[in-house]
Amino acid sequence: MRLEHVRLADFRNYESLDFPPASGLNVFVGPNAQGKSNLLEALAMLATGKSFRAHRESELIRSGTERAEIGGEARIAAGEIRLRCTIVRTPAGTRKSFEVNGGSVGFARFLGRARVVTFVPADLQLVSGGPALRRSFLNGALAQLSPVYYRDLALYQKVVGQKSALLRGAIAPDRDLLLAYNDELVRPATALIAARRAFVDELAAATAAIYGRWRGTRERLGVTYAPNPDGDVGEALAAAVESELRRRSTLVGPHRDDLRLLVDGTSLAAFGSQGQQRTAVLALKVAEYDVMRARTGDAPILLLDDVLSELDAERAGGFLGAVEGFEQAFLTTTELPRDLGAAATWSIHAATVTRC
Amino acid sequence: MFHLLNRPRADADALADAIVALKERVRLCSRCFAITEDDPCTTCSDVRRNAAMICVVAEAKDVFAIERTSAYDGRYHVLGGLISPMDGIGPSQLRVRELVDRVSAESPTEIIVATNPNAEGEATALYLSRLLAPSGVNVTRLAYGLPIGGDLDYADENTLARAIEGRRTL
Ligand SMILES: Nc1ncnc2c1ncn2[C@@H]1O[C@H](COP(=O)(O)OP(=O)(O)O)[C@@H](O)[C@H]1O
Ligand SMILES: [Mg+2]
Ligand SMILES: [Zn+2]
Repeated sequence: MRLEHVRLADFRNYESLDFPPASGLNVFVGPNAQGKSNLLEALAMLATGKSFRAHRESELIRSGTERAEIGGEARIAAGEIRLRCTIVRTPAGTRKSFEVNGGSVGFARFLGRARVVTFVPADLQLVSGGPALRRSFLNGALAQLSPVYYRDLALYQKVVGQKSALLRGAIAPDRDLLLAYNDELVRPATALIAARRAFVDELAAATAAIYGRWRGTRERLGVTYAPNPDGDVGEALAAAVESELRRRSTLVGPHRDDLRLLVDGTSLAAFGSQGQQRTAVLALKVAEYDVMRARTGDAPILLLDDVLSELDAERAGGFLGAVEGFEQAFLTTTELPRDLGAAATWSIHAATVTRC
Repeated sequence: MFHLLNRPRADADALADAIVALKERVRLCSRCFAITEDDPCTTCSDVRRNAAMICVVAEAKDVFAIERTSAYDGRYHVLGGLISPMDGIGPSQLRVRELVDRVSAESPTEIIVATNPNAEGEATALYLSRLLAPSGVNVTRLAYGLPIGGDLDYADENTLARAIEGRRTL
C-alpha cells in the first residue's frame, strides 16, 4: 500500500501541511526538534489511530489550538481509500473521531485500513527489555491485522483491570465475583492465545531465516511463544483462584505471556551479545513486515524513526536491503546516510517540508 | 433551552413548578426499584403480568426501553448500575441482595439479565447467574445479534463475530 497524500492541520508543530509522499523510500532529514518524528507519528496514526509516543493525546494538538486533523489518501490492494483522524480538546480531556471515505466510523472500523510497521529506538529493547514490550509488539501487528483481535484484546484488558481491582481490595472481597470474572475471561483469553500462537509460528520461520542470513554463521535463532497459561484457560484460572486471592493479584492469562528468543538453545536476553540482540530485533521487525504482507497480500508502510543513527552502517544497510521489496517507507535522520539509492529526500525545518 | 429563554417569565415559573411537583410525586418502587408514582409500581401490581419472570436491568430508564417493545410482560428489577470494582462499585453498592431476596420470596422460574453487552454488563450477568444458581431459577441473557433491517455486509466485524458465536438451530 502507498500513501498518496497527507494533510495536517494543527497537529503537533504543524499549523498546516500538504504533503505528497513519493512511492519507495522517503527520507526526512533536518536538525533536531523540527518536526520529522511528528510527521512520522501522523502517518502512523492514519493506520493505527493511536500515537506511538504520546503519553497524552492532548500533546498532539498544536499549542494554542483546539482541534488537530490528520487526513490522507492511500492506495491499498482494494483501491483508493480516504482516511481522517480528528482530535479535539474538550473540558473532559480529548475526543478522537475517525472517518473512512468521508463517513464517520468507530475506532475498530478505522484501525487496519492502512497498515504500518513502525520501528523506533525504543524497539531496540525488544529482546533485552521486559515482556510487556514483546506483548505490545504482538498486539500492534495483530490489532492491525484483525478487528476481532482488537475487540478481544480491549475486552480482555478491561476485564483483567476489573478483576485486579477486586483482588487489590477496591471493593469487598467476593469469591463469586472473582469466579464471574474468570468466566468472562475464558473466551477472549483463549482467542488471544490462539491468534498469538499462529502469528508467532509464522514470525518464527521468517525471523530465523533473516537472522541466519545476517549473522552469516550457523547460529540458530529460535522464536517461540510462551503462552500463559499453556493449556486450557478455564482450568488454569480455576486452579489459580487460591493463589490469586492470597497474592491479591492476577497470575494467569495472556496479559502475562511472553515471546522467548533463544540462540542455539540459550536465552538471547540473558546471554546474547549486544550485536546478537540487535540483529534479532531487526530480524523480528523485518519478519513482522513479511508476515503482514503475506497475510493481507498488501505490503504495509514502513516507518523508521531515528533508528539508522542507532545502528552501524552495516546493520542499517542490511535492514534496508531486507525490506527492499517495500512499496513505501519513511525514515527520519539528522544526517543523510551515504548509500540510500533511489530515495525521495525531504528536508524538514520548523514544520516546513521541502523536497531536496 | 434557548426556546425557554425567549418565553415570558410565567412560562419558566410554570415549568419549574412542574419539575418540583414531579420530583415530589415520583419515587422508586420498593419492590423493583423502577421509577413510579405509586408504590408498588404498576408493573409490580398488575396481576395480568407474568409474575414468573423477572427482567434485571442496570438503570430505571432501561425499563422504559423494554416496555416500549411490548415484547415482555413479566416483572422488572433495577440494579442501579453495574458492578465495576475500578469505580468502587461492588454488589453491595447495587440492589443485588434485594434481587436474591425477591427470588426466594417470589419463586420466579426465569431471570432475564438485560444488561449492556459490554465488559461490566457481561460480568454482572455472570455474577448474578452464579449467585442465583443455588436457588435453581433459570437465568438467561439477552442474545447478541445483528441489527434488524441492516445489511450483513454493513455490520461491523465485531457484531458479526458475536452473532456467529450466538447462532441458533433453525
Ligand atoms: N502540541 C504541540 N504544539 C506545538 N509544538 C509542538 C507540539 N508537540 C511538539 N511540538 C514541537 O515539535 C518539536 C519536536 O518535533 P519532532 O518531530 O519530535 O522533532 P524531530 O525533527 O527531532 O524528530 C519540538 O520543537 C516541540 O516543541
Ligand atoms: Mg525525532
Ligand atoms: Zn415495581
